[in-house]
Amino acid sequence: MSEHTLLSLNDLSLSYGKNTVVDRLNLEIARGELIALLGPSGCGKTTTMRAIAGLMTPSGGKIVLDGRDITRVPPNRREVGLMFQSYALFPHLSVFENVAFGLKLKGVRGATLSDRVNEGLRAVGLGGYADRRPADLSGGQQQRVALARSLVMDPKVLLLDEPLSNLDARLRLEMRTELQRVQRANDLTMVFVTHDQSEALSLADRIVVMQDGAIEQLGTPEDIYNRPESAFVADFVGFENIFTLEGGKLTGKGEAFALPEPLPEGAKGMAWRPRFVRLGDGAFRGTVIGAAFVGQMREYVLETPIGQIKADVDAGEPAHSLGKELAFDLRVEDAVVLKR
Amino acid sequence: MFQSRVEAMALVLPAALFAGVVFLLPVVVLLAQGVHIDGQWTLSAYADFFSKPLNRTVFFRTLRLAALVTVIAAIVGYAAAYATVSLPEKSKGRMIGLIVLPLMISPVARTYAWIVLLGRTGIINKALVAVGLSDEPIRFLFTETAVTIGLLQLFLPLMIIALISALENMPRDAVPAARVLGANWFQVFWKVILPLTREGLIIGGTLVFTGSMTAYITPAILGGSKVLMLETLLYQRVTVANDLVSASVIAFILMAMAFSANFLLKKIASARGGK
Amino acid sequence: MKSKFFVFLPLALTLIFLIGPFIVIVMAGLSSGNNLAFPPPGLSLKWVIKVFSIESFRDSFAVSMFLAIFGTLAALILGIPASYAMSRYKVPGAETVRLIVSSPIIVPGIIVGLALLRYFVVPLSLSITLALFVAHTALILPYAVRVVSASLNNLRSDIEEAAILLGASRAGAFFRVVLPNIRGGVLSAFILGFVTSFNQVPVSLFLSGPGVRTLPIDMIGYMETTYDPSVAALAALLAFLSIGIVFVAERFLGFTRYV
Repeated sequence: MSEHTLLSLNDLSLSYGKNTVVDRLNLEIARGELIALLGPSGCGKTTTMRAIAGLMTPSGGKIVLDGRDITRVPPNRREVGLMFQSYALFPHLSVFENVAFGLKLKGVRGATLSDRVNEGLRAVGLGGYADRRPADLSGGQQQRVALARSLVMDPKVLLLDEPLSNLDARLRLEMRTELQRVQRANDLTMVFVTHDQSEALSLADRIVVMQDGAIEQLGTPEDIYNRPESAFVADFVGFENIFTLEGGKLTGKGEAFALPEPLPEGAKGMAWRPRFVRLGDGAFRGTVIGAAFVGQMREYVLETPIGQIKADVDAGEPAHSLGKELAFDLRVEDAVVLKR
Repeated sequence: MFQSRVEAMALVLPAALFAGVVFLLPVVVLLAQGVHIDGQWTLSAYADFFSKPLNRTVFFRTLRLAALVTVIAAIVGYAAAYATVSLPEKSKGRMIGLIVLPLMISPVARTYAWIVLLGRTGIINKALVAVGLSDEPIRFLFTETAVTIGLLQLFLPLMIIALISALENMPRDAVPAARVLGANWFQVFWKVILPLTREGLIIGGTLVFTGSMTAYITPAILGGSKVLMLETLLYQRVTVANDLVSASVIAFILMAMAFSANFLLKKIASARGGK
Repeated sequence: MKSKFFVFLPLALTLIFLIGPFIVIVMAGLSSGNNLAFPPPGLSLKWVIKVFSIESFRDSFAVSMFLAIFGTLAALILGIPASYAMSRYKVPGAETVRLIVSSPIIVPGIIVGLALLRYFVVPLSLSITLALFVAHTALILPYAVRVVSASLNNLRSDIEEAAILLGASRAGAFFRVVLPNIRGGVLSAFILGFVTSFNQVPVSLFLSGPGVRTLPIDMIGYMETTYDPSVAALAALLAFLSIGIVFVAERFLGFTRYV
């Protein structure tokens, strides 16, 4: 364990009855880091987050926070904050009382209390909203209240459950900026859970891609986006053309084929992003069955013997019409090599 | 969802124990009286019960009146519910309030009104004589008619409310669509409204049927000893003859009916993927 | 317009049938005559006043009030934790528990009363008042559980988790966050329980003894022997009481949402 480590999960196993959701997970999170747990629903990311919060008792393993084993510490004494996907504001309390809730339980009273609450509200841009009820606020404002409510508690780790998924596109950008600002300003350690790769890529320092209760890949957004190690991760970050390697041949959803160039050592598969499929010449042929103009790009779908191929071409290039037969090429230099 | 089983049990146990000991256990013991006589497990009490003509009369009367009340409630209920649903939103709320209102009034008071209305010198008899429909007052009190009217008044709101919510859940355009396709009003009811509100009809029907069958106040006040129903018979057997065996048999019959109606309701509701 | 008439005529007749008897009772109770009659020969308050002078009514009214208030409170004290557990925990055998707790609503009241008297009250030689209290509590329990459960199910459970993560204990989260948010449901359950208990006859039938009887039972007894308008006056008073309570409850709680 490095000295920068704030939170570590050691061989953490989680189960609902006999159903194991997370199996011996190991993860170390550094102080001040912003980590995303990314994966499809049912991958165990939310369960992992709930275990860190203490809302779920592990069936095995340890959770260590700031040098202290908190595996058996009840959630109300963990110093972990959680911003719920639904925000979970208390409907019967005003914005002020919502934010003051935890501080009051800590014994903070009087002027100190109102100073800290108002400071917290100002920090999320809700200075004038102290007397409102949650129901009178917009979704974005409610989320800011939830954020302030967690922040005033000075948690060692702030957990966020799908923090951007309930917001529309404009608010999403605003909240993303807000979260980054708050995180830098307080040197906060944040762990957030999401099923949306763009959310994870845009916000996190490191991404933990999870599948079936285990870590599929761990790395920086650049690593995950450009160098996925498995077909699962490649698919998740938008490599549409993915092939597994068996006996020197690549197989997708159609016939197996071999490439003329030698394949790298230890490769288990190859994947091409649509924009790295070269249209116009090459050893492969396919028929255009889908064509869409999306601004900078034209997106094509080709029906080919090796399965459907998706190819993106610069919009400046001449357009191809449906039904046209095209040659295309898949080159090793354009591909990502899947190691698992 | 919290995980601790101990906490869960600690919270549930007081209520479960209370209902179990205070209520379930005595009822089970009472039911056992009917099948365990002189140290022997036997169904003879049931055979004895049904061998007496009076008991058979009361049994079939109870079934017949409950069924009759249910059928009338369904017919009246559809008409009233359909009209209520077609009211504008605000008056609809008020109308539902008016329909629910009688449920909050003591059944004793509601039944008592019929004594005033149906008596020999009551307004209904006076009206009948005045218009010449009858030469002398008709005896309504202590007849099946009086009991039926009383029960209907007691339980009709339950049917109307059930049908109102069923009609409200019906797809908005179903009736106009059927009309456009050329169905007459009878066909609209039979082919569109009835199938789409079946669940509400079953809920309302079960409530009215079991309610009528197990009602005590109405047959006691409006039927007296002339028109005994199962509940009033039970009361009479216990108070007059201390006959706990008959009481146990009647209790079982009533509960069996109530449970099967309840079971049927749940079965049908869940079979239709009810909420 | 003709078709509208045929749609609303049955509704009007139904309302007359449902509400009419209530009006009859009120008019009969306000009669100036000495016999039960509708329409009354004239109006007066003499029977309403007489009701208050009948001692047995005063006694049985006190008994009914006691049962309705404390029976409902007891049912809520038992029912709220049970409802909470069933909505927030995985209770082993939850369906069985739900069935046991709601069984007093399924079993006809007269059987409840008889069974309770013979196999609980008599063997333990309990007092009649205690017996009635226990019976009414059991009777109201299903209503309490149903109404409170419904309002708990409408309340998101993550606000409790949020409270706990902010430092509250499990019990603290319940009292600070859950209870304030289901207040409407609890009050509605109280009112429903109160009205149900107050109007209840069959359960109390066997349990009422000489000296201790509930008001509706007393009324039935009185009307069997006396044919004067005092019972009508009392019935009208009770009806106004129920309507008043429900009206206020609807105004402030939206009572019918919960029932």
